[in-house]
Amino acid sequence: MSFEQQFDAIENEITEEGDAPPFFSRPGGKIFIIWLVFTAIGVVIGVFAPHHLLPGLQSGTGSDVWATIVFFTVLAAPVAAFVYALAFYSLLAWRPKKSGSSDEPPPDGPPQRGNGPLTILWVGISTLLVIVLLVWGMTVWSSQQVAHDGALQVNVTGQQWLWTYEYPGTGVTSRTLELPQDRPVEFNVTALDVIHGFWLDTMGIQTDANPNENTVIRTTPTTLGGFVVRCSQLCGLNHAFMNNKGSVVTPTQFGNWLVSQGATTSAAAKSADVPESSLTPSSTSTTTAAPMNTGASQ
Amino acid sequence: MADPEKSQEDERKSPAFGVVATLLGVFAFIVAVGVFFSSQYYTSPSGTVVAQSLGTTEVNGQSMPHVALNFQTYPNSTGSRNAQGTGPGSVPVHSSGSDSWPAYGMSNVFQVPAHSLVTVTVHQYDSGGPLNNPWFSKVHGTQDGTATVTTPDGTSSTVSSWDQNNIGHTFTVRGVPGYDPNFFLSVPLPTNADLPNNEGSASNQDNGQSYTVTFSFISGGKGTYAWNCEAPCGQMVAAFGGVMSAYGFMSGFIHVV
Amino acid sequence: MSIATAPLLLEDTPLGPKAGGLYRRQNALVGLIAGVVLAAIGWVISHALLQGSNWGSDMVVTVTLTCWVIGFNIGIGTFNAPFRWVVGKDSTREDELYGAGVGQGAARYWKYCTDHKVVGTQYFVLVMVLFAIGGTLAMMIRTQLITAHSSFLSPGTYNNIVTIHGMIMIIATIIMVSGPFANFILPIMIGAKDMAFPRLNAMSLWVVVSAVPPLLATFVLGGVDTGWTTYAPLSVQAPPAMDAFAICIITFAGVSVTVAGINTIVTVSTMRAKGMTMSRVPIFAWGSVVSAALGLYAMPAFLTAMSMMITDRATGTSFFVNQLGGAGWLWENVFWTMGHPEVYVILLPGTAALMEIASTFSRKPVFAYKAAVAAFVGIGSLAIMVWAHHMFTTGWAPNLATPFMLTTELISIPTGVIFLVLIGTIWKGSIWARLPMYFLYLFLWNFIIGGVTGIYLSDVPADQFFHGNMFTTAHFHYTLLGGAMIAATGAVCYWFPKMTGRMLNERIGKTAFWFIAIAFQVTYFGQFWEGFQGMPRRIAFYDPIFLRANQMSTIGAYFLMLGWMILLAAIIVSWRNGKIAPANPWHAKSLEWKVQTPVPLENFLVDPVVTSDPYTYGEGVPDGQNQPSAAPEPELVPAGASESTSGGGAS
Ligand SMILES: [Cu+2]
Ligand SMILES: [Cu+2]
Ligand SMILES: [Cu+2]
Repeated sequence: MSFEQQFDAIENEITEEGDAPPFFSRPGGKIFIIWLVFTAIGVVIGVFAPHHLLPGLQSGTGSDVWATIVFFTVLAAPVAAFVYALAFYSLLAWRPKKSGSSDEPPPDGPPQRGNGPLTILWVGISTLLVIVLLVWGMTVWSSQQVAHDGALQVNVTGQQWLWTYEYPGTGVTSRTLELPQDRPVEFNVTALDVIHGFWLDTMGIQTDANPNENTVIRTTPTTLGGFVVRCSQLCGLNHAFMNNKGSVVTPTQFGNWLVSQGATTSAAAKSADVPESSLTPSSTSTTTAAPMNTGASQ
Repeated sequence: MADPEKSQEDERKSPAFGVVATLLGVFAFIVAVGVFFSSQYYTSPSGTVVAQSLGTTEVNGQSMPHVALNFQTYPNSTGSRNAQGTGPGSVPVHSSGSDSWPAYGMSNVFQVPAHSLVTVTVHQYDSGGPLNNPWFSKVHGTQDGTATVTTPDGTSSTVSSWDQNNIGHTFTVRGVPGYDPNFFLSVPLPTNADLPNNEGSASNQDNGQSYTVTFSFISGGKGTYAWNCEAPCGQMVAAFGGVMSAYGFMSGFIHVV
Repeated sequence: MSIATAPLLLEDTPLGPKAGGLYRRQNALVGLIAGVVLAAIGWVISHALLQGSNWGSDMVVTVTLTCWVIGFNIGIGTFNAPFRWVVGKDSTREDELYGAGVGQGAARYWKYCTDHKVVGTQYFVLVMVLFAIGGTLAMMIRTQLITAHSSFLSPGTYNNIVTIHGMIMIIATIIMVSGPFANFILPIMIGAKDMAFPRLNAMSLWVVVSAVPPLLATFVLGGVDTGWTTYAPLSVQAPPAMDAFAICIITFAGVSVTVAGINTIVTVSTMRAKGMTMSRVPIFAWGSVVSAALGLYAMPAFLTAMSMMITDRATGTSFFVNQLGGAGWLWENVFWTMGHPEVYVILLPGTAALMEIASTFSRKPVFAYKAAVAAFVGIGSLAIMVWAHHMFTTGWAPNLATPFMLTTELISIPTGVIFLVLIGTIWKGSIWARLPMYFLYLFLWNFIIGGVTGIYLSDVPADQFFHGNMFTTAHFHYTLLGGAMIAATGAVCYWFPKMTGRMLNERIGKTAFWFIAIAFQVTYFGQFWEGFQGMPRRIAFYDPIFLRANQMSTIGAYFLMLGWMILLAAIIVSWRNGKIAPANPWHAKSLEWKVQTPVPLENFLVDPVVTSDPYTYGEGVPDGQNQPSAAPEPELVPAGASESTSGGGAS
């Protein structure tokens, strides 16, 4: 069928509303099929891809990131697929042959100046989607704001170009971040010079470290293993080097680590919330800067 | 408005020449800009300081090469911003031998062999003050976690930290992403309120008094590591501007080969 | 056309030997010399007085570069007319004709020329130069990142390149549509003889030109190692290059964009042709006006912020220094008060141009014209209420996260309407697949991806993963490069025949298109991948786990640059010896296609009369936007008045 014939068919269809052809042979029907296919592709990508791309998530707040990405992608897929389906179809069906090299325009299209109900429907659907997004975001965000009693306190200090982590009550200040498993943690984040970004990517939490300000963020690490803290706010010359390893360990390992860093056994046991007797401090001298404890390797 | 004959002629002309000329021109521009910026890559004006071999030694039952690395920090280098405050860390071209100031040139690029014991000696001539973070007054990552400090009056002591209010600079080395990211070394380079003010002319510096800091560490795997000073010895906010924010003064590279 | 029927054109008016006064001696070279001389004087004086004092070098840089900007503008002629006005020697008609470029040939492109078409062309070239510089810097960044620890760039050099790449691209994208097209095309489109304030128009252009050297001077003043967001206190700590950066912004945002914005708004408000009611205005005018209005809201904030930044640095005030009682958060708030609206300043005119393109190349009216206008106004109003979504993770006002999440997500409703308008216009149209249309389709593809990735960032929990991460970088390149700049490129292809009198070589153009379209996806999907893996933005060295993704992005970027270079080649060869363009190559209906090419001075030989909007495709009614052919004087028969004679005017 030449384009002119196709075009006439479309024209007829518009003018002769009475005996419209079956749905799936009309442009709307064909676009619907393409839309279904595109939506399916989008949903499949949205559901399966983030899991493979994200680093191994180590906490509930980290899983929130994953869930949000999946949920939003699935919601957005039909909208994106609709635009793509229509654009795709328009190129197949409504583009006269050789129109790209012609100096003469194709015949005028139908003079549609708008469609009130369609516009209202479009705005209505997007409003609905926005509300869903907002409710999701508010729910997740408020669940992350809950403070837990007995949370482990960690004072995080950013400076050009190093993070230091202080464990109050133990006298330990380290440049690596060790966290006990399944214990809520509160990070009190500040900076000494310029703004840095304290970002635990596997735990899905981030906040800036601002000089003279203290910002609290919370999470509960659930999965043992190592991670890397990377400064996420450009902070000058050696910003790229401002990162360090950290790891989530068992409470007993955590207590032992505190002791190896110079804490007394009782303070370490208290901070790690384990019985003092369970700690088996190694003979490591506190003055030795042992090779960095990287915890479980990533 | 072009006349018809000219336009006929225009249409016959192939655009190929213009296209190729444009592509080559822009490409040449990009390459030129690349060469310009790449030439700013920090290479020491006085060349790389190569650690001197001291033979082999045994550490924890392992035999490894032993090398020595000597350098100085001195104040008021040319090129520091506003020429105020304290100046760059620098090392002599000849890392041993003559101690006379005029023989010195700035170099902030070191070279040491991989997996070796490196014994570093730093002559610290500069004044100083309190640190932003007392954590850097401690010695991190050296053998035994200590450094030996000889004060200007000649007394020597082995320490694992120094008074955080009297630090001139620190020598802080880190593994960079990609090479041995766990590697970390930080040694405070002390100073003292009593240290005569060495800032000024070369002749002052000739007679200058220094703190001498000696420490050893085991170098990591091959690669380029970054070192910098973590003491607030620059200008502006937190005294980390100026010389602290430019390569060649309080920062440099260590090539581990 | 033959000489016999040639109308008497304004530009052929003979002028006396003294017409123009001082303007006769002024051009870009004189501006350059005057700028350098005054800068040298400023340097000598400020250096003698201030060097060695605290913050002396900041003062010296500030004074010197301010002198440069003033000197250049004295030399080019920015202050001539105001000065003559003040001393009571106002310009004569002859002076004004000289100022509009009469009798100067191609030399007028190097002068302070008030003809809006000259200004538009100057902007067009300036934008291409800026993109060339910004693109070259992007190549530096991507080359550095091809390996995990490259010794191509030092960290300081890298940080500065990141900053200047960002800023130069922001400047270029702000002016890429509002410069060339809102100046050259828009007045003709609405039937005006020029912009409302022709001298301010020339000023807006030359002020941008004078703002560029301070930006490039940062490379020799120690570099701005902060990123274009120049967050304090890092920017207060930065080398004196930061002062040069601030002078550039004050000049560009504080003067040029503001002046250009006022000009656009007044022109469209007051100078429309007879009969051009609000609903008959081409949609591009709406987009331009809303964008200009938004710019008038946003840019003064940037001016204020940068002025305070200079005083913080050069005099020791401490507005933004936490340690001295100031607040880095204040900077972030003021900055994003500018920064978010600025995104829509960039986007709106481009999308409006795409609506013109969609209509012309689908041979259909713009779909839901009033909804499109409402969407522009809606975006414009919401855009000023969303700035703090850039601050979700800063620790500032956590209680405001929810309201800002709301406003940010609300903006996707009017943005969705823009999609509706575009695809509604294409719907059942007859697609004329010429080059501008290619870029419309590419825009649809890219901007959907930019929009969808944007909703992750608008959600606080997900933003805690993606903020400050390469994902964000990829996202805003999808919106600003893949969206706005692709739209602007479509506009270039669309209006090129009118602006240059030549047809753009579409064979080369389509080659460029495919390089751009495909390489763009490779480049930024690579960066999405980096972001998902957890790579921070703006780092010169990275963990090798990101290596593959970075290499993908870099290879894509090389081909993307090649694509833009081919497009540039198409523009250059077509401009030099392309096919001569007829007055209305697209058979479009808006007024700019009804004037002859090249467009005469003051555009219309006969005042146009408008009886409908320019989208009457398929409606079977006479074209309602025309210059009436019944001319008062016989010799004034306009060459481009009707379809039949329009081709003759150019061949
Ligand atoms: Cu940082
Ligand atoms: Cu120092
Ligand atoms: Cu924004």
